[in-house]
Parts: sequence; C-alpha cells; structure tokens
Amino acid sequence: MKPLAQYAAIIVGLVLLGTTPLYADNYILRTAATVAMYGALATSWNFIGGFTGYPSFSTAAFFGLGAYVGTICQRNGIPMGVAWTIATVSVAAFAALLGGIILRLRGHYFAIGSIAIVELCRLIVSSWSDLTGGGDGLNVPLIHASPDAVTRLFLFVMLGILAASLVVTIIVDRSRLGFGLRCIHQNEDAAAMVGINTTAYKIAAYTLSAVFCATVGAAYASWTGYIDPTDSFQIVMTVKVAVMAILGGAGTVVGPALGAAAFVLLEEVFWANFIDWNRAILGVVIVLLIFFLPGGLLSLRARLRRASGGAA
Amino acid sequence: MAIYLQTIANGLMLGALYACLAVGFSLVWGVLNVINMLHGSFIILGGYLTYFAWHYYGIHPIVMLPVVALLMFALGFVLQRGAINRVVSAPVLTTLTLTFGLDMILYNLMTYWFTATPRRITLDLGAANLGPVVLPVDRLLGTGLALLLTFLLYAVMRGSNIGRAIVAVRMDRTAAELMGIRTDRIYAITFGIGTLMAGAAGVVFALVFPITTNVSGTWLGKAFVVCVVGGLGSVPGALVGGLVLGLVESFAGFWFGPQNAITAGFVLMLVLLLTRPTGLMGVKGYE
Amino acid sequence: MSRQGFFRSARLALMAGGLATGIFASVPAGAQDADTIKIGAPLALTGGLADEGKKQDIVWKMWVEKVNDAGGLQVGDKKMKVELIEYDYQSEGQRAAQLAEKLITDDKVQFLFAPFGSGHTKIVAGVGERYQVPTIACVASSESVFDQSFSHLFGTLSPNGGMTTAMVKFFKQKFPDTKTIAVLGRDDVFPKSMAEGIAKAAEDGGLKVVYKELYPVGTMDHAAALSSIKAAKPDWIYVTGYTQDLILARKQMQDLGVTAPIVTMVTGPSYKEFTEGLGPLANGVTSSSWWHYATSYKGQGVWPTTADFYSDFKAKTGGDPDYVHGSCAAAGEVIADALKRAGTLDKAKVRDAIAATDIQTFYGPIKFGPNGMNLVRELPIIQVQDEAIKVLAPADIKNADMIAMPK
Repeated sequence: MKPLAQYAAIIVGLVLLGTTPLYADNYILRTAATVAMYGALATSWNFIGGFTGYPSFSTAAFFGLGAYVGTICQRNGIPMGVAWTIATVSVAAFAALLGGIILRLRGHYFAIGSIAIVELCRLIVSSWSDLTGGGDGLNVPLIHASPDAVTRLFLFVMLGILAASLVVTIIVDRSRLGFGLRCIHQNEDAAAMVGINTTAYKIAAYTLSAVFCATVGAAYASWTGYIDPTDSFQIVMTVKVAVMAILGGAGTVVGPALGAAAFVLLEEVFWANFIDWNRAILGVVIVLLIFFLPGGLLSLRARLRRASGGAA
Repeated sequence: MAIYLQTIANGLMLGALYACLAVGFSLVWGVLNVINMLHGSFIILGGYLTYFAWHYYGIHPIVMLPVVALLMFALGFVLQRGAINRVVSAPVLTTLTLTFGLDMILYNLMTYWFTATPRRITLDLGAANLGPVVLPVDRLLGTGLALLLTFLLYAVMRGSNIGRAIVAVRMDRTAAELMGIRTDRIYAITFGIGTLMAGAAGVVFALVFPITTNVSGTWLGKAFVVCVVGGLGSVPGALVGGLVLGLVESFAGFWFGPQNAITAGFVLMLVLLLTRPTGLMGVKGYE
Repeated sequence: MSRQGFFRSARLALMAGGLATGIFASVPAGAQDADTIKIGAPLALTGGLADEGKKQDIVWKMWVEKVNDAGGLQVGDKKMKVELIEYDYQSEGQRAAQLAEKLITDDKVQFLFAPFGSGHTKIVAGVGERYQVPTIACVASSESVFDQSFSHLFGTLSPNGGMTTAMVKFFKQKFPDTKTIAVLGRDDVFPKSMAEGIAKAAEDGGLKVVYKELYPVGTMDHAAALSSIKAAKPDWIYVTGYTQDLILARKQMQDLGVTAPIVTMVTGPSYKEFTEGLGPLANGVTSSSWWHYATSYKGQGVWPTTADFYSDFKAKTGGDPDYVHGSCAAAGEVIADALKRAGTLDKAKVRDAIAATDIQTFYGPIKFGPNGMNLVRELPIIQVQDEAIKVLAPADIKNADMIAMPK
C-alpha cells in the first residue's frame, strides 16, 4: 500500500471512531473504544508476530500486568495518568528482560514459551495475595463523573493509544529496524550473516509488542473499576488478538487494526442476535476467512484488482 | 516415609493420565506442524460419549473405548481431509487460527447439546492398598489403559508400514513424497490417530474426573506443558513428559501447597524450554 | 478498494446503530414512558460459569412469564408488562461490562440483574452505578462486593459471614469431640472468603486449624492436598469450590481414604448437580445454604409460598430448585414490590423504594441493610442423607438429625 493511502486510511479510521460521540449513544462509543483497544493490541502484536514472524502469545500477559501495575499504583494514591505511565514503563522493561531469555527459542517452542508466560503470570498474581488481593481481585477507584464523560474519556484514551501504536508502526516500517525484522522473518540465519544484530532487533520488537498492551491494560482497569486474575490473564484474549491481526493482514501497517475492527464488530452483531450460537458463528466466520482470505482482509484489495484486471 | 511413597504414587498415576492426554497432541504437532487447539474439546467429546453410553445404556466405559476410538478417528480423518488439509502447509499461526475457529464451533455445539453441567460416571471402584500407599482402582485402571494406549501407539509407529510412513513424513516431507508416500493420506491418518488418542484419553478421564466443557482449556494447557517437557512429536517423549509433570505437580503440591502446584509445572516447562528446547526425550530438528 | 469499502460498511453499521437508537440517547429514561418494564441481564451462558448462568436464565424466564400472565406489574394505576433482555457474556468480565452498558444505553433497561458470582457482580454493578440503574444481585454474597458504597446495588443473599459462626457452634454442639479442622479452598472471591471465614470462626470457637491452603482456579487434582490433610487427621474437613471442584475433591477423598467425622463442602450439596454427580459418595456431606425448598415461607409476589414456587419449578424443569433459583426469583419480587410502592418509573424514586424494601416472600424476608445487602438471618445447615438433602438447622425447618460421615 502506498504511504499516502496508509495515512489516509488511518486518519479516516480514527476520525470515524473519534466522531462517534457526535451522533451515537454510549454503547456505540463503548464499541468504538473496544475497537480502538483491540486495534492497539493487535497493532502491538504485529511488531513481533507480523514483522518478525515470531508467533507470540504473550499479549494477555502484558495486558494483565499493565492492569495490575496500574491498579496497584492507583490504589496507593498515584494519579491515574502517572499510574498508566508507570505501568507502561515497567512492563516494557519486564518485556525487554523476558525477551532476552525467551527469544532464544524459535517457532513452536517460542509459541509455547510465550503462552506459558500468560499462565505463569496469572498463577503468580493469584498466589501473591498480599499485593494483588489474589483471587479476590482488586477494586480500582471509580472516576466520579457522568457516564457520558467517562465513556468519552476512555474512547479518546483508547484512540490515543491506537494512534500512538500506529505511528510507531509506520516509523518502524520505514526504518532500518523494520527492514531488519523483515529479514529475520525471511531467514534469521541469513539476516545474522549480513550483519543484523538479530538478538537486539528481536528484543526491540518484543518490547514494542508489550508497551501499548500495558497502557491498554492499565487504562482498561481504570475503566472497569475491578480486575481479577482470571479476567486479566486470558489465554482466549491472547489467541484472539493474534487472530485479529491475521484476519486483517499480519505484517502490514493497517491490517491488524482493520482485523480488530472487523472482529469486534462481528462479535457485537453475533452476541446481540444469537444468544445460544454466538461462538459457533464466530468460529464459522474464522474458518471461512482462513479458507478464502488466508492473506487477511487487505489481500482482498489485490484480489479484486486482479479480478477486475482480468475482466478488462 | 509413607507420605512420600503416597506422593510418588499420586504423581505417577496422574502423570500416566497426562501422558495419555498429550500423546495425540504431540503427534499431530510433530508430524503435521499443526498446533491443534481442538485437542481439549476432543478429550471432552470422548468423555461425553462414554458418559452418555454408560448413563443411558449402561455400557461400561472400557467397552466404549474401541467404539469411541473408532468414531474419533473418523471425525479426525474427515476434519483433516475437509478442513485442515487446505492450509496444512501454511505457517503455524494460520493453522492455529483455523483450529481455534473449529474449536469454537465444537465447544458451542457441546455446550448446547450437553450443557456445562459437570457429570460423572459413578462406578467408584474403590481403592487398593499397597502397604501404606493407597491406590484408587479407577486411577490404576486409567494408568494401565493410558500406558497400554501409549505403548500400542508406539508399536504402531515403529512396527507398521503406516507408522513408518508417518515417521518418514515427519522427518522429511519432500523426501517421503519422492519415495512414493502420499503425504496427504498420511496427514489425514495422523490427524485421525491424534483425535483417536484424544478420544481414548477422554474415555480414561471419564473414569477419573467429572466431565464438563469448562475444562477443555485446562487439558489443552496440560498437553502443551507435557509436550515441551518431553519433546515434540515422539511417543516416548509424551510418556516421559507426562510422568515428570505428574511427579512435579504432586511434590510441589505437597511441599509448597496446592496454590503453587501448577505454577511449579509451568516453571519446569520454561526452564526446560531454555535449557533443553527439544525436551527431555526430543530429537533435534523439530523446533 | 476493500479498505474503503470496509470502512464504509463499518460506518454504516455504526450509523445504523446510531440512527436506530442513539438519537434518543439524550432523552432521559423517565420521559420515554413505554408500556413495558425492561430488565437487562448479562448472563454467562457459555464459558466457565455456563451452568450457573443457565439457572438464572430459567428462573427469570419463569418469573417474567408468570408476571405477564397476570397482566404485568402494578405501577401507579396501570399494569405494565415486563420484558427481559438477556445476553451471553461468555463468563468474561470485560464482556459483562460491555453488555451491561449495551443493555442500559441501547436497550434502555430500567433495571439490571447481576450475573453469577461476586467478581462479575462487581463489574456489572460498577456500570449500573455509573448510570444510576438499580442492579439486583442474587448470587453474590461476599461483603467485599458491597463495600464500595454503591447506592444502586442490592443483593438478595445474606452476608456469607453468617454462615460460618453458626456452623461452628452447631457442629460443636452435635459433635463435642471436634477439636481440629482442615480447610481447603478455591482461590476465587466467594470460595476464598468462605475458607478464610470458616478458619477464623473455627479459631474463635476454640478449634485448631491444622491445615489451610487455597488451590488456584484450574486445579484438576487434589491428591497432594488431600494426602497432607489425611496426615493431619482432622476432626472436620471443610472444602470450598465450584461443583466440579467439589465432586473431584470428594471422589479423591474416597479414593485416598481421607475422611473425618464431619465433611463440609461449600456450596456443593446446595446444588443438585453435586448429589447427582456423586451418587452415594455425597452421603454425609454437610453444607450451608441461603435457602432451601424445604423451608415454608409465606409472602407476596407471584409465588405466595415456598411450596408454590417448588411445584411450579418442578413442573417446569422436572428438577428441584436450589438457592440460586430461589434468590434470583426473589430478585424479581424486589423490583415488583418497589414499583408498586413507587408508583412510577422515575429512577430516583424507584431506587429509594428498593432501598426501603421490607417484604416477606417465598424465599424469606428481604430487607436491605445500609450497604444494600439482605439482612442477616438464620441460614439453613444441610446434609446429604440417602442421596437427598436434609435440613439440620435452624430448628423450625429441621427435618433430620445430623449423622456422622459414613466410613
């Protein structure tokens, strides 16, 4: 996709989501915020899963840790924005350290290692009850404002995080880092041979994949007002985010966010209308997409062009 | 002393069940390069088939074992042929996403038909005493069946033409094709065997655990851990991985409390991943 | 092309939603006096809490049908039909919050029924509080849920603190030799608070706690914990968890020969799934519950007596109701009564009417304390005997004497 088209797509998307308060009710706003939230998560995942081609399933770990760090800060009287920042920075540092260890693994082994991190975080948070409240969970001080104001605030927060993650994606995409990550994706050994510091590059990608997840997690905790280990560290979430990115087009700039939007909107429609069958229907949609659009939604463009070119 | 013997016995019996649970998952992963997210639900499905046969027709679970095995093999074969084979050479993430989607469908169907009510086969076979150690008969039976199934699979893999073809495909697909092996068929058969083993594990588990769709994710998680501990794609690997995990969970639960039993299993897995990524029994080259 | 196409359809979807409902969002709920009373319920119909969610679903539908057959609920001088709007939140907290918001802003419900469990009740009540929509929780008993000074959250269960002290006292009276207790609890809001509550009550009552551990969600083997408990030889074993945990724990106790004169499982025997799943193994297990159909309460509402509710429920489902069914049906009666007294759908007035609730129902008395929880009352202590539930206490509804755990 040409850079200009990329920018246009991003701006149109953000404006669409950001203007919902002008005409829609809080439910639509919340859906828009959820789209932005998952968009940010999927865009983050894209650094490691898309560009670098490492099947990472750590998303929920970063999200959950961000939520817990943010909540614990807020409960100790640290203002909300500062708490989010602390959560972001500390989880990023954690991811960098962790990346140094588990990125020695490749392929399948990396996939399991990263998924185990989620489960391990849940178990540790759950048993460290002095700090985390264990299975009781933690209350986050609720924001005392009108529901409209609160929903609007979190819509813009989530949109801000999404925008930030997209900007970083564009920068990485254009930079030597992005080039290096793509090389690693193609052939890691060859990349190392032509002088790319693969370890440093991979750690950078892994850390980038954590940063925005942590912010999202911390903001989400402030929004809901209550977190517990089971909801914060969900394997389902970790898999879902990867699925969204693949649906949109892994390794592209706007694909993951697009996939997240499609996925969230489909989910909304199915929950609302098919109370007994929502999971199965979503499953069918995923299966069909994998069959007929394995390159993600963005590949549809190329296909259409090819089809129309053939007709002409 | 008695409590240590008991802890070892608990761990070994649990470990044999874990081995039985993971061996099909490991095989599919090793040969087809597919992380099969359906595996947990297959186990539950096997358990439900056993439960309903016992509950409504009074059929003993052991009698059901071959029936469930056959049905599950057919299901796996068809699923691989009709769905998974379309993307079998795609990257890990694509096949994972596909099985994730299929699992959502199967899970929803099971919840709808069977509801999530926990059910149990109330055979209650009692317990045997071996000195100070108590051995529940159904767990012993489960252990025996698990070992038997694992051994049978091992024998098939080593001794039969199909088994040798599967091993050949796992080692080098292109070479195997050049030797005249029809990889598509081998893939479908392997997936069928993987599903069969999941169903058989479901039968064995139905003797020991309550059956509910809620735990499919838990079983899937255990399969992951066992594979890493033992090494991917090999039958002895799954056996060793299962037994080690069972013992570790049992001792961790005894020493550090149940709060930390599962954590210990995951820590073991991560340590092994980093120090011996091919697992205790793994073969190099499958990462 | 597709990208623009996609965004267009996404915008269309959003716009359509916006046009259909959003335009009226700014109109206050009181002003759009429709002819129906809408109650919203995010339910866990799939996922980890699917079984419990289904129970709420059944009994609420029964209640709504019964109310509407009688013409509806009395509000002022007219009768209004009740509409129940349910969504499946798949046992995921985030989705519960989202659906609660949808119910309030999109479906314009005037009341919320909170889902099963203390954790998800907290999440849904948080949304209700923000919009000042009264939320009735029928399956949350942990006081921590009600300690956040929410003024729109009301719970029909009594505080679970009331379950522990009375039980220790009762058991010590029946089995004076009881000196030690072992506690094994699930690390989750309600089961954990019960485990800690009983340990404290036991110590206060002069018992020695010889084992106390929590097991994490997702534990599928209790052999290690039970072997340790066996070595400690307690007089009383107390296990908390969800039904599948407890079935497994009881089964493994039997297998490993772990027993004590008193074995209590919370809330195991309150659910018929527990006794059905265990068969003869359930015999002797004691528990406490908030309500039992053997009680004989009388009061107002669509079911004047406990027996009426029981026979209706039996006819509808073929099974016996448990406390979840009772408490959730009673949650409907709270709304019915408050509307009758308020005589209007005005939010603030209805909220105040609910807070002033003081009624008798088939489920027992309902009167909310300052934190919104139903007041403490004597809760039944039950025991499984011959695979049926018997009530041991309180004395006025007792129908059996306590027996020791069969060997």
